[in-house]
Amino acid sequence: MTLSRRNILLGGGAIGAAAAMPAAVPPAAAQAPLNVGLILIGPVGDFGWSTMHDQGRRRMLEVLGDRVRATQVEAVAPPDFDRVATQLVRTGSRLIFTTSFSYFQATQRVAAQNPNVFWENATGTATARNLAIYNARFYEGRYVQGVIAARKSRSKTIGYVASFPVPEVIHAINTVMRGAWSVDPQMRIRVVWAGAWFNPGREADAARALIDQGCDVICQHTDSPAPLQLAEQRGNVFGFGQASDMTRFAPRAHLTSSVNNWGDYYVARARAVLDGGWQPSDTWGGLDSGMFRLAPFTNMTPEEASEAERIRDALAAGTLQPFEGPITRQDGTLVIPAGQRLTDDQIRAQNYFYQGIEVQMP
Amino acid sequence: MRRLVLERRAETPWALTLASPLLAVGLTLVSAVLVFLAMGRDPLEALFVYFIMPVSDAWGLQEVAVKATPLVLIAVGLALCYRSNNWNIGAEGQFLMGAMAGGWLAVATHGTGAGAWLLPAMLVMGALGGALFALIPALLKTRFGANEILTSLMLVYVAELLLDWLVRGPWRDPQGFNMPQTVVFAPEATIPLLMEGGRLNLGTPIMLLVVVLAALLVARTLKGFEITLVGEAPRAARFAGFDAKRLTWTVFAIAGGLAGLAGVLEAAGTVRMLQPGLSPGYGFTAIIVAFLGRLNPVGCLVAGVFLAITFIGGENAQIMMQMPLDVTRVFQGLLLFYVLGCDTLLLYRVRWVRRAEA
Amino acid sequence: MTLFEAILLTVITASTPLLIAAIGELVVERSGVLNLGVEGMMIMGAAVGIAAAITTGSSAFGVLAAVLAGMAMAALFALLTLGLATNQVAVGLALAIFGLGLSGVVGAPFVGVQREGIGAIAIPYLSDIPFIGPVLFAQDPFVYAAFALVAGVSWFLFRTRAGLVLRACGENHASAHALGHHVLRVRFLAVLFGGACAGLAGAYLSLVYTPFWTSGMTAGRGWIALAIVVFASWLPWRAAVGAYLFGGVTILQLHAQSAGVPLPTQLLAAMPYLITILVLVLVMRLRGGGAGPAALGQPFVPDR
Repeated sequence: MTLSRRNILLGGGAIGAAAAMPAAVPPAAAQAPLNVGLILIGPVGDFGWSTMHDQGRRRMLEVLGDRVRATQVEAVAPPDFDRVATQLVRTGSRLIFTTSFSYFQATQRVAAQNPNVFWENATGTATARNLAIYNARFYEGRYVQGVIAARKSRSKTIGYVASFPVPEVIHAINTVMRGAWSVDPQMRIRVVWAGAWFNPGREADAARALIDQGCDVICQHTDSPAPLQLAEQRGNVFGFGQASDMTRFAPRAHLTSSVNNWGDYYVARARAVLDGGWQPSDTWGGLDSGMFRLAPFTNMTPEEASEAERIRDALAAGTLQPFEGPITRQDGTLVIPAGQRLTDDQIRAQNYFYQGIEVQMP
Repeated sequence: MRRLVLERRAETPWALTLASPLLAVGLTLVSAVLVFLAMGRDPLEALFVYFIMPVSDAWGLQEVAVKATPLVLIAVGLALCYRSNNWNIGAEGQFLMGAMAGGWLAVATHGTGAGAWLLPAMLVMGALGGALFALIPALLKTRFGANEILTSLMLVYVAELLLDWLVRGPWRDPQGFNMPQTVVFAPEATIPLLMEGGRLNLGTPIMLLVVVLAALLVARTLKGFEITLVGEAPRAARFAGFDAKRLTWTVFAIAGGLAGLAGVLEAAGTVRMLQPGLSPGYGFTAIIVAFLGRLNPVGCLVAGVFLAITFIGGENAQIMMQMPLDVTRVFQGLLLFYVLGCDTLLLYRVRWVRRAEA
Repeated sequence: MTLFEAILLTVITASTPLLIAAIGELVVERSGVLNLGVEGMMIMGAAVGIAAAITTGSSAFGVLAAVLAGMAMAALFALLTLGLATNQVAVGLALAIFGLGLSGVVGAPFVGVQREGIGAIAIPYLSDIPFIGPVLFAQDPFVYAAFALVAGVSWFLFRTRAGLVLRACGENHASAHALGHHVLRVRFLAVLFGGACAGLAGAYLSLVYTPFWTSGMTAGRGWIALAIVVFASWLPWRAAVGAYLFGGVTILQLHAQSAGVPLPTQLLAAMPYLITILVLVLVMRLRGGGAGPAALGQPFVPDR
């Protein structure tokens, strides 16, 4: 965890001094339970991003028992955010997780208006005195996917069902290919933008198009199990699950899933407020943090599985760095030379494909 | 054998205009008791959270106003369309187009310290953007006979995608980590707040002014008469020399302009930037508002406030009673059914008659 | 299978839910009723369909339950709009909200439950015809149902007396009433048929296309179905053209993306909407089209 210099982006020196300041509010009285609020961008039943945050909330309640209470509001559109957040504050929430980047600017705003509440924004890019940010380094899982895909693919072409061209997705595509090229430099990728995080029919159509064009390993950056199911249905095509363990949706096609786990983080943060030790931290947890894990490898030979395990462990241990130089853009300009590594901010803002990825940047 | 029949009323008795909403409330109470008891919740608490809490203090009232403003603005324009039999169901797209047109000024002048002219210019741009976008279905209808239900609906998706492209490409915040959003609008490009301790902004008085003007237009002007006549008796309107095509252009332009105005007010007022997901379906919800308000501007105001309360009530139910969103939607749907159904009593007399008579 | 065949196959499956729902709504509108709540009925069909299929273990029962769910929603709509002469547009939109919520409640216990989809049934002999066979006759039962619905509804509307009566109710309910037809009864049955079709389309999504449940999974397809009815000028075979056109462009733009066509993806994604508008305008120029049932959306209250 680092207290980031990104604070400076916010302007004001007072905010910049955040690192030095202790948490704003004294620890809650031992008896009174802490009210935790969650604001979700999608419905709890989306079986993806929002479902997994809901699971995290449940986990927090399980572990902390009657020391916490949790209130959750689903499918909050950005124009409604300020009201919902304020209402949560007014009804006693003292720690509020806003679980989408769409809420980031607004969270900065309400955090400044409500200095006595601890705010946490998922995938945000700057902290403030009472605002922490958190996310997981899902790209580490993507690297493993790339390695596995290169082993599994006969057509040497990976299909990627992408949602929107945000940096999170772009650096994931880059990292998949880094992993794939580490096995076979001939690997290629095709990308279809579904234009949704969640639209099962469209995701399935996108996967169909990719498979029909010769992709035989499908990576997905959308939430529903539809692409994976389609791989199963077509046969001789493999896929990876997203957000939760999707093995059961494709017993013959599933290779591994990237499983989100916010529960431990929520427990730790609620505990920190209860104990008075909350800090406006910038958490970007990798495989070692437990914020996400890879589901057991399936449909792989023992050699393939042990290779994937080795790569996974190297990523977790930090001995393998997916963003090590040299990194060259599609157009041939060098981003960093060998021996350097992209900073977290550079990764977070990545908006270019690497050289060798023949996909047009939308 | 007896059954229910409806008879059109010559005029609606005063008492009924009061009794009808009361009946709706009564039915709502009954179903609330049933639904919430079935879920093991206190129905009275639920009703309080739904209907009383949103209006129980100044902050809540301001929020109701903020939520109702875009709904009413759009609905008033749509009411004029529907009155004249122009089925514009693409207000959502016109809303977004207005937000984009007005937002463009805010983005283009960002950091230049533009003066007090900026905000009025943004509002004008927003209204123009929405109006021009609404003229596309009007043009396709009058020139080619292409049905406006289809064209206006399809253009909603086009507007969404255009917004998506703009905030990911040309208008992206250069300091925003390449996330899909514009800069946060500068203070001079933000709709001023009116009161301390709440979000009530200049949009609400603008909306009220629009309601008054539209009510005058409908009730007091020849144009208003023309709109109604073209809708209700197109043949008579032709004889009277009214040009239905020109009217189509006019009402689409007004509806689009108002939706666009709502869009820029929302972008520069509550969200303060452009981003995908700018509208939680205001353009579609406003269609309900227009009909619930009986295509009457003042009616739209009442209906818009009512719907705003049910939306906020639904949020409150999630917050206060941990009720899932879906349950709040079911309840909102039921409520609308009751209100719409009871509305019938104002227009018709319900009678039991013998089957043979019918 | 060639890429072309594969694309056609995908287009047909992607268009099927749109076509089924559109055909149902077409009959509803032909009878003079505008039900904008297709999305709500459809998603209830999806939720109830998979819930029943998982609970009973039978896909057939799931489909039946979905159809009944769609009809139940339609009956609710009919109660208000026909029984109480309430505004159809407003009730239809309220039905969409209601259905979205209720489907979430019904589906909540089934989020993340895996189930085998209903597979394809190859029709003997026909499916062996080169090219046409695998594309048209080795599909799932819903695709055949969609073909049958188009043919059946077309026959019903224009070749039967009952169809004539239904159209008469949609054109001028007062005259139909004067001729002794039970306008409200006809409309009620039409609305129920529309609900059944919407429910069936929903079942297609949750039992065949993407066999699982997640809330909001219809993702606006009910709205597209409404647009297709208008596109079709209320003619069943044109609805088929509209559905396959829309589905076709949707699939082609995904293929274009995958093949790396150098256009903004947003522009490609907007193609189905833009091309539908363009084709409608061209069709109106060349062939003309009906203005729609004259009594569409108007409540009917018999004067005894």
